[in-house]
Amino acid sequence: MLRAALRSLLQHKLRLSLTLLAVVVGVAFVAGTYIFTDSLKRSFDALFSAPQPDVSISVDTGFNQQGGGGGGGGAAAGDQAATLPQSLVATVSKVSGVAAAYGVVSADGALVIGKDGKVVGQNGPPARGSTYVADTAISAIALASGSAPVGPDQVVLLESTATSAGVSIGDSVRIDTPGGTVRPIVVGLATRGISGSDGSTLALFDLPTAQKLMLRKADVVTGVVVRADPGVSQDSLKATLTPLLPANARALTGTQRSADIADRLSTAFQFINVFLLTFAFIALFVAIFLIFNTFSMLVAQRTRELALLRAVGASRAQVRRSVLAEATVLGLIAAVLGVLGGIGVSQGLRLLLRGFGADLPSGPLVIEPRTIVVSLVVGVLVTLVSAYVPARRAAIVPPVAAMRDEITLPNRSLIVRTVSGSVLLLLAFLLARVALSTLDDGTRAAQLAGLSALCALIAVIALAPMLGRGALFVMGWPFSGSAIGRLARENGRRNPRRTAATSSALAIGLALMTTIGVIASSTKASVADVIDTTIGADFVVFGAKFQPFSPDVYRSVKDTAGTSAVTYVRQIPIKVGTEQSVLTGVETDVFPRVVDLTMQSGTISGIGLGQVVVDDKTAATLKLKVGDTVPATFVNGASSLVLKGVYTQAGPYTGWITSIPTLMSIGARELDSAVYVKVAPAGDVGAVRVSLDAALADTPTVKLQDQASLKDQINGQFDRVFGFIYALLALAVIVAFLGIVNTLALSVHERRREVGLLRAVGTSRPQIRRMVVLEAVLISLFGAAIGVALGLVYGSLLQKVLEPQGITKLAVPGGQILWFLALSVVGGVVAALWPAFTASRLDVLKAIASE
Amino acid sequence: MTNAAHATALTKVYGSGDTRVTALDSVDVEIETGRFTAIMGPSGSGKSTLMHCLAGLDFISDGRVWIGDVELSGLSDKNLTKLRRDAVGFVFQAFNLVPTLTALENITLPLDIAGRKPDQAWLDTVIDTVGLRDRLKHRPSELSGGQQQRVACARALASRPTIVFADEPTGNLDSRSGAEVLGFLRRSVDEFGQTIVMVTHDPGAASYADRVLFLADGRIVDEMHGPTADLVLERMKAFEAGRS
Repeated sequence: MLRAALRSLLQHKLRLSLTLLAVVVGVAFVAGTYIFTDSLKRSFDALFSAPQPDVSISVDTGFNQQGGGGGGGGAAAGDQAATLPQSLVATVSKVSGVAAAYGVVSADGALVIGKDGKVVGQNGPPARGSTYVADTAISAIALASGSAPVGPDQVVLLESTATSAGVSIGDSVRIDTPGGTVRPIVVGLATRGISGSDGSTLALFDLPTAQKLMLRKADVVTGVVVRADPGVSQDSLKATLTPLLPANARALTGTQRSADIADRLSTAFQFINVFLLTFAFIALFVAIFLIFNTFSMLVAQRTRELALLRAVGASRAQVRRSVLAEATVLGLIAAVLGVLGGIGVSQGLRLLLRGFGADLPSGPLVIEPRTIVVSLVVGVLVTLVSAYVPARRAAIVPPVAAMRDEITLPNRSLIVRTVSGSVLLLLAFLLARVALSTLDDGTRAAQLAGLSALCALIAVIALAPMLGRGALFVMGWPFSGSAIGRLARENGRRNPRRTAATSSALAIGLALMTTIGVIASSTKASVADVIDTTIGADFVVFGAKFQPFSPDVYRSVKDTAGTSAVTYVRQIPIKVGTEQSVLTGVETDVFPRVVDLTMQSGTISGIGLGQVVVDDKTAATLKLKVGDTVPATFVNGASSLVLKGVYTQAGPYTGWITSIPTLMSIGARELDSAVYVKVAPAGDVGAVRVSLDAALADTPTVKLQDQASLKDQINGQFDRVFGFIYALLALAVIVAFLGIVNTLALSVHERRREVGLLRAVGTSRPQIRRMVVLEAVLISLFGAAIGVALGLVYGSLLQKVLEPQGITKLAVPGGQILWFLALSVVGGVVAALWPAFTASRLDVLKAIASE
Repeated sequence: MTNAAHATALTKVYGSGDTRVTALDSVDVEIETGRFTAIMGPSGSGKSTLMHCLAGLDFISDGRVWIGDVELSGLSDKNLTKLRRDAVGFVFQAFNLVPTLTALENITLPLDIAGRKPDQAWLDTVIDTVGLRDRLKHRPSELSGGQQQRVACARALASRPTIVFADEPTGNLDSRSGAEVLGFLRRSVDEFGQTIVMVTHDPGAASYADRVLFLADGRIVDEMHGPTADLVLERMKAFEAGRS
């Protein structure tokens, strides 16, 4: 039987190759994801082989690495450098077992300005200013060339930073720091073990310079790094040092630090892996439809052959096994090719991510045995699952079918599918209604909505054959005037299950695309709405990398003629209970004029030292009311605040808001996160813009934005994220179109007699081609239509679920959806080209000759 | 008498070298207009090949073929298709109808493909002649084998072609249905002056024709006018005897 299975595989190799391709694409995506993340992981191994301090001491702030939560209108989350007294260095140095101890500074906010006058690096990753530790035994950062920085006029740059800035050793480079703008000479270039760049930049100074520029204080450091005497273990040294440390500091051994970093990276990789795998499995899921269709059709075409096998004594189980054996062989071949394709996909993912702004370190290609095992298992399993039903159907072919002349598998009734589909659709509807009534509980609503979407998807797949007959009739109506149009329409309708499976594959892809589209446009509309309704200012100044910037900016614009209000805000991280948030310091008398703040109770105007207002959600979570005393912790200590008011969370600011004096009393760095400018009613917006541009001309570290450009900038960021998701979903859509190619190719083969007849009675080749293309267009348009419909419904539902997260406006991307439909038509045409060509070239005589 | 189709020195060769088979060996044939011609011969005699070549379904190796006064050799696939559509009607042994179209749609298919309006009076005449008035909305799968062949005949006539080719039109039918179909073909010759060429190996079917051509080994070996089933059978037996 195995020989029969293999032989039939070879006979149908052309038709199977497309099925193979679908599995290959899916498996390659899975394999590529693993290869990509494994390789990425490996490229970070250099981090761990680099030298590092035996013990490092830093401040234990209790805050997450990322700092505070939600910021203001995309502005920097609160920033505050946690420091230790420099005297600690001397204390530690004297401890026996310590060979050397160095005070170090490392803080965000050293913006390197390139030769082109622009800030180097990308938004998001930090622009760090640090001390250079010359002790090569413990310094992860090594000098690649040049010398260590000495004195206020020397700096060492990371090689990638220097390259981006267009400077080399001996050049002077402009660096804007919290301590002001400096122009030191580049004396050396450093590497940190891994190639590539994550978009962050690094400038290295000697300790006094770093203290002055980054911390604006001479007697503090952000950490101490220690080299142990030979023979002294990291653990014992840590134990010796720990009692000497201030309460807010902690010591970590080198091993612990490596473990910490490895842990963080592994979490990040896990996330990337799962994220990418999700899309790989969507593509595989779509591929299942394709494989199912192919095997169904091959079985139908081979009915006589299978019946002959049965007639000469093969049992049903043997016939079934023979079809499944075919599937296994096919799955294995596809999986092997998929693993190879995965190498290409991993490179593609790297390029894709680079295209979306993440320049990842490169390293050797890592193909773990796990990758191969998973790919093989997934490839074979997916193929077997999809071939199971066709295999069962093959087994019930009666032996007598071998003697019959014409072979028709009965068109089974659609009642079961229609009834179960309707029930599921009802269930989906009810679940959606429940989800809408539990919007307060975001997680629960999301789960219900997801479940509802799943039900609806299965329901639509189940109902598709029934829907398809009607839909194709209607959609084909404009073409029904011509015989060719009618033939195409009826060809699409004659095998509703096949058409439905083909369309469903496309529908899944487009449903996801449309959902993302609705969420994307709703998000943008919501952002625009927030900006329109809550920002009263005409201009906002943000850090070019959304980093905090010097108060000089505020000073240079505050007296601009024609303005009615100019004000600045500062932010630091704050923690109340376990809720990490942001404390924003504002000029309480001016701020309400530039940012709309609707008070539910209490007031913000004139709040005094140690007094705050908070948004309604946080107040509700923490069960706070006006007048309560709130115990809060900060990076550098703790403080009690008195709640004076609660505002409705709507605008760019969430969390805690207080006065500037309160913020400074907590120890914030003197750095602003935003400056707002409101033009006077009689003022000339254009003239104000010109003055502001002039005032900020020499400050590349900040960006002046009006409301429109602010929206553009935020939308641009969303576009990148959503664009990335679209790119990944595109793969599933491509697989779906492969499915259309395959279905049509097999249909044409199945109907070759009919095509021959049509040719004999005078149908021209172009007409045959038109007939096949039109059928493809109808199938893909049907798939696209139900996909878009599902996507619209669930995109809207998701928007409702996400309303508490700030997506308050529902916006349907009409133009985009029209594009989806138009592209589906184009895709259908392209998918039909090859089958149409084959059909038109069929030999008339062969096609009509009786067997 | 004019010819609806004719061929001179028609030769058809399949394959080359050792596998070379001469299916038609320099055949000269004339198909007279308004008459019912049957082509008979044992299996492998080349009778189907002859029909395919006359009908423009197959390319010939040598010689010349005309339908009406149009010469087929040298016509592009496009023009050949157009000729088949407008000047030729077909009735095959099986797979005659498009399963997705109704009986009526199948009948008007060549006209629809050409984008021509059917002549309603003629269409009614044809439909009534084949007796399918109450079956027009049915799909082929809902018709009996005989009804399907009658639909095929109606289709072949609907466009008033120069010539109708029927390839074993009764091969798959029981004798009663076969007689109906043959009777209908006969009537279309008698009443409408249609030209029909029918390939068959059934002497009974051949007896409906005005003239029978006998084919053996790719050549026309005999001809009979006003045949009867018995005469044809006798002649066939003689060939068989002569061959063995």
